[in-house]
Amino acid sequence: MSLPPLRRPAPTRTGFECDPAFVAGQFAAGVAVLVAAIAVASALPRLPWGLVDPLLVLIGSHPVINALIKALTVTVFVTVHVIFLIWLERKFAGWMQARLGPMHVGWKGALQTIADAVKLLMKEDIIPTRADRILFIAAPFLTFMPTLLTFMVLPFSEKWVAYDFPLGILFVLAVTTNISLGTLAAGWGANNKYSLLGGARACAQVLSYEIPMAVAMLSVVTLEGTMSLTEIVKHQQHGWNIIAHAPVMIPAFLIFMVCGLAELNRTPFDLPEAESELVSGFHTEYSGMRFAFFYLGEFAANFFTAGLAVTLFFGGWLGPWLPAPIWFGIKTIAVVTLFMWIKWTVPRLRVDQMMGFCWKFLVPASVVVFCATAVWVMVAGS
Amino acid sequence: MRLIVSFAQGFVSILKGMAITFLNLVGRRKITLQYPYQRPNVSPRWRGIFYLPYNDEAGRINCVGCTLCAQACPTGVITMTKMGAGKHASVNAFTMDLGRCMFCNLCIEACPFDAIHMSTRFELASVDRGVSLLTIDKLAQGGADAVERTKRTIEAALEQEAAAKAAAAAAKAQAAAGAQAAEGADA
Amino acid sequence: MTAMQPAVGASTSSDMTINLGPQHPSTHGVLRLMVALDGEYVKSCRPVVGYLHRGLERMMAARPYRQSVPFTDRLDYCASLNSNLAISQAIERIGGMAVPERAQYLRVMLCEMNRIASHLIFFGTYAADIGATTAFLYAFRERERLLDLLEAYTGARLTCNWIRPGGVASDMPEGYAQAVCAFLDGFLKELDAYDTLLTGNPIFRVRTEGVGIISPEKAIAYGASGPVLRGSGVNIDLRRTEPYDAYPRTQFDVPLRTEGDCLARYLVRVEEMRQSARIIRQCLREMPEGEHWGKQPKVFRPAAGEAYSRTESPRGELSIYLVSDGTANPVRVRVRGPSFVHLSMLPELVRGVKVADMIAILGSLDTVLGEVDR
Ligand code: SF4
Ligand code: SF4
Repeated sequence: MSLPPLRRPAPTRTGFECDPAFVAGQFAAGVAVLVAAIAVASALPRLPWGLVDPLLVLIGSHPVINALIKALTVTVFVTVHVIFLIWLERKFAGWMQARLGPMHVGWKGALQTIADAVKLLMKEDIIPTRADRILFIAAPFLTFMPTLLTFMVLPFSEKWVAYDFPLGILFVLAVTTNISLGTLAAGWGANNKYSLLGGARACAQVLSYEIPMAVAMLSVVTLEGTMSLTEIVKHQQHGWNIIAHAPVMIPAFLIFMVCGLAELNRTPFDLPEAESELVSGFHTEYSGMRFAFFYLGEFAANFFTAGLAVTLFFGGWLGPWLPAPIWFGIKTIAVVTLFMWIKWTVPRLRVDQMMGFCWKFLVPASVVVFCATAVWVMVAGS
Repeated sequence: MRLIVSFAQGFVSILKGMAITFLNLVGRRKITLQYPYQRPNVSPRWRGIFYLPYNDEAGRINCVGCTLCAQACPTGVITMTKMGAGKHASVNAFTMDLGRCMFCNLCIEACPFDAIHMSTRFELASVDRGVSLLTIDKLAQGGADAVERTKRTIEAALEQEAAAKAAAAAAKAQAAAGAQAAEGADA
Repeated sequence: MTAMQPAVGASTSSDMTINLGPQHPSTHGVLRLMVALDGEYVKSCRPVVGYLHRGLERMMAARPYRQSVPFTDRLDYCASLNSNLAISQAIERIGGMAVPERAQYLRVMLCEMNRIASHLIFFGTYAADIGATTAFLYAFRERERLLDLLEAYTGARLTCNWIRPGGVASDMPEGYAQAVCAFLDGFLKELDAYDTLLTGNPIFRVRTEGVGIISPEKAIAYGASGPVLRGSGVNIDLRRTEPYDAYPRTQFDVPLRTEGDCLARYLVRVEEMRQSARIIRQCLREMPEGEHWGKQPKVFRPAAGEAYSRTESPRGELSIYLVSDGTANPVRVRVRGPSFVHLSMLPELVRGVKVADMIAILGSLDTVLGEVDR
C-alpha cells in the first residue's frame, strides 16, 4: 500500500464560474454597469444644478433641516461602515488564524455581513417571559445611542464634522460613560444570571477605565490648550502629537489604547462577554435585530475610539496628497486593525486582575503622565 | 523597580506574541478547505462506506455468504441470506445497517475471501434514515447489475453442477445397470 | 426550584445558583456544573455527570473479547489509540498472547502520536478557556496534520481502533516513517512558537500561576495520575514505573513540576509533547523488521481468571480490569479512567475561587467526558 498525499491539495476554486452562460451573463452585466456609469458621469454636469442652489441654501441655514440631514448622514455612515468593519474583523481574524474567513457571499465574502444582517432581521424576536420588558427592549438602544452621538463631534476633516463643539472632549467623555447604562440594563433586564454577571462586570470595568482614559485625554488637552477636537488636529500641523511630543505622548497613547480596549470590551478585557465563562455575557438572551444593535454599537465604538486616538495623537485628517477624510479613514482603520490584532493575540484577564491593573497601575501611571505633560509644556513653552 | 521590569518584560512578550500572530497573518498558507467546492484527498486506507467487490473474470461478487463478517461485527450490522451451496455459493441479500456501524474494520479483517471492502467515500450524512440501510444492490460494486449477474453465474454453475452430477449419476447408474446386467448375464 | 439547589454549603439569599452546562462553551463535552455563586466567587460546585453514559463496560462484557476494542475508541475519544492499547493489553494478559517486537514499537509510536494529538487539544481548548482564540486554532492546525498521519496509517482520524490484542492491525504504509519525521520537524518548531505566544504571555501567566494548587498529598489522596500528578511534583509515570511494550527500550524524560498549579500542569503537558516526539523518533529508528501481528487463536476462550492492565494515557492512568469465566465473553469489564478521578477533585479545588478561575482549573484537569461517563 502506498502512502497517500499527506498534504491537502492546494486550494483551487472549482465552482460555477466555468459555466459559459454564467460567465457571459456576468460579462454582459459588467458592460451594462459600465455604460450606465459613463452615461451618468457625462450627464451629471449638464443637469441644471443652479435650480438646486436655493434648496442647498435652505438646508444650510435652516437649523432643523440642517441638523436632521447631518444626523441622517452620521447614522447612515455608522451603519454602513460597521458592515465593512465586521467584514474586516472576520477576515483579519481568519487570516491570522490560518483560515480564510468568510468566502461565500460576494467577493471574498464581502457581502457576508449584509447576509447576516438580513438573517438577523428575519429571526424571531425573543423576549424572555420573565425579563424586565422595558429595560430589555431599551438596552440595545441605550448602548447604541451614545456611540452614535459621539460621531457627531468626530472630525473627518476640517469641514466634515457634524458639530464642531468647542468642548468636544468633555462631550465625548460625558456621552461614552452612558454606554455602561445600556449594558447594565441589558444585564439586569434579561433576568439571566450570565447576563447579570456580565452586566455587572461591564459596568465596573467601563467606569473604572474611564478615569485613566480621561486623564490620558486631559494630558493632550493640557498640551494643546483646547478641548475642541478640530482645534487639536489643527495644532498638529507641524508634527503629530505622538512624534512632536513623544516623551509624554507615547505613554499617554499607550494608556489610552489600553483603556480603549477595556471600554470596547475587547480581549484582554472582554470579561463582560467572556465566552468561556459567561456564554455571551450581557447579551446572552438577545437575538435577532436587538442583538445586531449591540454588535452595531460595539463596532461603531471601535471606529470611534480609533478615530479619537487618531485625532488626539496621529494628526487626525492631516496628511499629504490625499483628501483629508481619506487620510482620516486610513489612519483610523489602521488603529482599528491594531485593536483587532491585540484582540486576537492575547488571553483574557480575570476580573480582580482587571480592576487591580486599572486602579493600581493605570490610574497612577496616567496621573504621572499628566503631570509630566504639564512639566513638558512648561519646559517646551519657555 | 521590580514592577517596572516585570511590566516591561510582559510588554515585550506580548509584542513577541503579536509578532507570531502577524507572521501567521502574512506568511502562512491558509489551511481552510472550501468544502463543498473542494474535497479532501483522503488516505487510500480510509474507512468509508462499504462495497462488495465484483470479480469480472468469475462474473460474480466474491462473497460466499459464510457469515464470518457478521459474526465478527460487534454491533450486528450485517445480515445476509445465502444462495447456492458448496463451491458455488453467494448471497442474494446482504444488508448493512450503517446506523449502527462503528467503521471499526473488524468485518473486513474477518472475511477470508476479501469479499468486503471499505471505500474512500466519506460523505455519509443524510436526512433520511432509510439511506443508511445498505442493501446488496447498493453495496455490490456495479450495483444491481452485478448482483443479477452473480445470480446468473451461480445459477448457471449450479445447473452445470447439477447436470454434471446428473450425468455422473446417470453414468453411475448406467455402469451399475451394466454391472447388474453383467451380473444377470453371469447368473 | 429547591430540587435544583446544590446540596453543599449553606445558601443565603445573595447566592446565585448557576448551571454551567450541559451546554456551555467551556465544559468540554456534556458536563454540568451546579455552581453556587456569591457574586464572582464560587461557593460550591457540584459536577453532574452521566449525560454521555452509554454503558460501555456492560457492552464490552456482552461481546467476545476481541470485539470490545472498538468500544474503547469511544472512551477517551481524543486519544483512542491509547485506550485501544489498554484493552488490548488486558486481553493479552488474560489470554497469554505475545506481542511481536515490531508491533510493540508500532504501538508505542501510535500511542505517542495520539498523545501529541490529545495534548494539542488540551493546549487549544485551554487557550480558548483563558480567552486566546488564536492559539486554539493554531493547535488545531497542527493536530490536523497529525490526524492526517493517523488517517494514512489507520484509515480513521478519531476512532482509530488499530491497536489490537496481539499486535497492530496493519503495518505502516510505505514512506510513513519519512512523513512522520517531516511532521515532527515542523511541529517542534511550531510548538516553540506557540510556547512563546501563550506560555510567555503575562496575561496567561497571571491567569494560571498559583491558581488551583493541588498539593502532592492531595493528588495522591484523590488518586490523581498523569500530568495532574506530575504537575504536583509526584514523579510517577507508568511508562517509567511499570513500563510496557517498547517503553523500557526508549529514552525519554518525564517532565515534572512542583508548583501544582494550572501553569504547572500546562507546562508538563507541553513538555510531554516534546518528549513524545523524541519517543516517536526513537521508535522509527530502532524498529526491528518482523511481524506486526502475532499468532491469533481462532476462537478466543481464555481460562477462567482475571487480568488488570495499567497504561499511561495522555490524561493519566487508564486501567482495564477483565474477569473471565472461560467462555468467549468476559464476565466483567471495568474501566478505571483518569478523567473521572480528576473531575472528582474539582469541587474541592474551586471552593472560594472566582468564576474565571474555575474555568481555568477545569480546563487544566483536561477531562474527557467520554471517559468520565463511559
Ligand atoms: S465496520 Fe465494524 S461495526 Fe461496521 S459492519 Fe464492520 S464490523 Fe460491524
Ligand atoms: S463478506 Fe466475506 S466474511 Fe462476509 S459473508 Fe461474504 S465471504 Fe463471508
